[in-house]
Amino acid sequence: MDLRAVKPALAATLLALASCGGSGPADSEAGSATRNVPAAVRYDQYGSAANLAPPAEDLVNPLSENTRDAEQGEVLFGAMNCDGCHGAGAVGFVGPSLVDGRWRYGGEDGALFHSIFYGRPRGMPAYGGLLSDTAVWQLVTYVRSQPVPGVVPTVAWQ
Amino acid sequence: MTIPNGLRTAFGALILTAVLVSAVCAQDDGQWTRPGKDLGATRYSALTEITAENAGRLRPTWTFSTGVLGGHEGQPLVVDGTLYVVTPYPNVLYAFDLTKEDYPLRFKYRPDVNPAAVGVACCDAVNRGAVYAEGRIVYNLLDGRTVAVHAETGRELWKTKVAELATGETITMAPLVVGDRVLLGPSGGEYGIHGWLKALDLTTGSVVWTARNMGPDSVVLATPGTFKPFYDKGTDLALDSWSGDSWQRGGAPVWGWLSYDAALDLVYYGTGNPGPYNSEQRPGDNKWSSSVLARRPGDGELVWAYQFTPNDNWDYDANAENILTELTIGDRLRKVLVHFDKNGFAYTLDRATGELLVAEPYVEVNWAKRVDLATGRPVVDPSKLTGKSRGMVRNICPNLEGGKSPASPASYSPRTGLFYVPTNNLCMDWQSDDAAYIAGTPYVSANIPYTAGPGGHLGAFIAWDATTGRRVWEIREKFPVWSGSVVTAGDVTFYGTLDGWFKAADARTGQLLWKFKVGSGVVGAPITYRGPDGKQYVAVYAGIGGDWFLIAGDVRSDDPADVRPPSDFAPDLARYTSQGGMLWIFAL
Repeated sequence: MDLRAVKPALAATLLALASCGGSGPADSEAGSATRNVPAAVRYDQYGSAANLAPPAEDLVNPLSENTRDAEQGEVLFGAMNCDGCHGAGAVGFVGPSLVDGRWRYGGEDGALFHSIFYGRPRGMPAYGGLLSDTAVWQLVTYVRSQPVPGVVPTVAWQ
Repeated sequence: MTIPNGLRTAFGALILTAVLVSAVCAQDDGQWTRPGKDLGATRYSALTEITAENAGRLRPTWTFSTGVLGGHEGQPLVVDGTLYVVTPYPNVLYAFDLTKEDYPLRFKYRPDVNPAAVGVACCDAVNRGAVYAEGRIVYNLLDGRTVAVHAETGRELWKTKVAELATGETITMAPLVVGDRVLLGPSGGEYGIHGWLKALDLTTGSVVWTARNMGPDSVVLATPGTFKPFYDKGTDLALDSWSGDSWQRGGAPVWGWLSYDAALDLVYYGTGNPGPYNSEQRPGDNKWSSSVLARRPGDGELVWAYQFTPNDNWDYDANAENILTELTIGDRLRKVLVHFDKNGFAYTLDRATGELLVAEPYVEVNWAKRVDLATGRPVVDPSKLTGKSRGMVRNICPNLEGGKSPASPASYSPRTGLFYVPTNNLCMDWQSDDAAYIAGTPYVSANIPYTAGPGGHLGAFIAWDATTGRRVWEIREKFPVWSGSVVTAGDVTFYGTLDGWFKAADARTGQLLWKFKVGSGVVGAPITYRGPDGKQYVAVYAGIGGDWFLIAGDVRSDDPADVRPPSDFAPDLARYTSQGGMLWIFAL
């Protein structure tokens, strides 16, 4: 494997930080995240994305697109091992690129929140039990702050 | 668990009897019932119809599309006139009736596999095949379960959960059956798993024992008096060679191949890399990661272990096959185990004791100068050590794909005395950082660009003499050679290439005899068998994947949301191949 994930990981600090903000669908779960970190990959939770979760289009990112939240999201992107699958800079590895403007499950803020919080069926873990919704929004803000190439190549060889 | 001594002896005797019977019937039965053909994993067939003289007349006789795009690793089985093949995720089992024209489907077994496993598999959702035993086809599902299916009807006989997705475990390897034990292990060396080998009961599927690859002797199943590693002494070796509790998430997966010696009653398997990649988070030898272990299949007791790469700094998994044969080393005939490690050395070990007899580089190696036969340890070049404090370390050979991928098993011919080995010619730079453990997510943190090795070609198919440790011939390839190989008593060896050629070579000279374009890159392992009509056939999966799915760039076409730029070390691979699984059968 050519692993491009490089981020300092201050996991304990960040998990504590991540669990102390926000209110939303999973506060009761998020509070337990500082110690005895539960398995992040709780696939059963995906069911809630289809049935119980608020519709993605109703979710509004409470964070302004300011640099600080995006930077905090970038730190989380490394500390929570997002880069282990999506690659450093979110350019794609085991999981798809998040910076090419192409989306499987929708690229709006609410859809990204759903992907991170509830997971997706082909292996995206549900981080709802590990991260507060504020932290998830910081990740959304980071991903959305990345520049998308104006022209995505459609021809590989000429 | 503990097995009473009497029962243990009876178990061993039963296997011994079975093997003696098969040894008496020295003629090849023309079948392929295990991943490596025989218990010694030689992938040698005594069939002789196809020869160096006539191989040029091979032609395809039958094909089948699996409809699956993942990497098609592993090999078909042929048992009693039926050909069985397992697809990558979603792990469908097909059974084709070779006794009828067009090989109609006897059954198609479709397990319900949790799709979440796709995201927990480090390197594509591959499967390395099934094993046949006593009327059952047994194989592993990516989501951590083992199934036994009735070989004639396709009816599911049992299904056992053996691995835990939530802690990063998946299963990609092919199990081996020894007596009434099904032996298997997990993938997840990049996810901080606590690696193990399990034995299931062939009849019921229940777990008989679980042996960890690291930790205290009580979980490693190492007992003083029984466990006698050749180069180590003491207790709790697999605990004290880790710092703190790092062994609990230290990796050492079991995703390769198993072999078995009936006379010694020992099963052999290799373990994968220690995690995380940053070696400074786990000072110590990290036993028994990147090692070969010999256990008793009856109760799992560890008898010996040998570590190829202590404190592995380079992701040098030792999951490659351990091929069992007898070789004359010096002037003594020895029962040996031959292993082509990812770290670039080919090892010949005494398989009764774990004593190292020969260790020579079979590809370009610069992380170690040599392996010291007196201590069994590599003489490491300190400038190639990695770790967070060392920053970006340049030009380490071989790279982490390995001198040979463990996914690409070699073969051995007792006629030529040579091993036929698919190899990579790749080097790497390595930068690792602190990794945080979050269960079920990657536990890696590294940046590892690849470069071509000396000469610029990226791979070669070689013939290797394991008595002296030297290369006899080679066929250079444009891309890494990532297929398995098979060799026959007709002195023909077969392999495939990433640019989609399936090739036959003269096993004595390395002369290319024949090639055929099979549509997608080959990462599967070819087999040969005698069909119900008495003819010799050769079968192989095409369908690029595995690590190439991650790093080759734009080889996929099924997902418009996933279009990648070409890799920088093999930028034109996607010019020759896309994904797509196809089973091919050839004959004269």
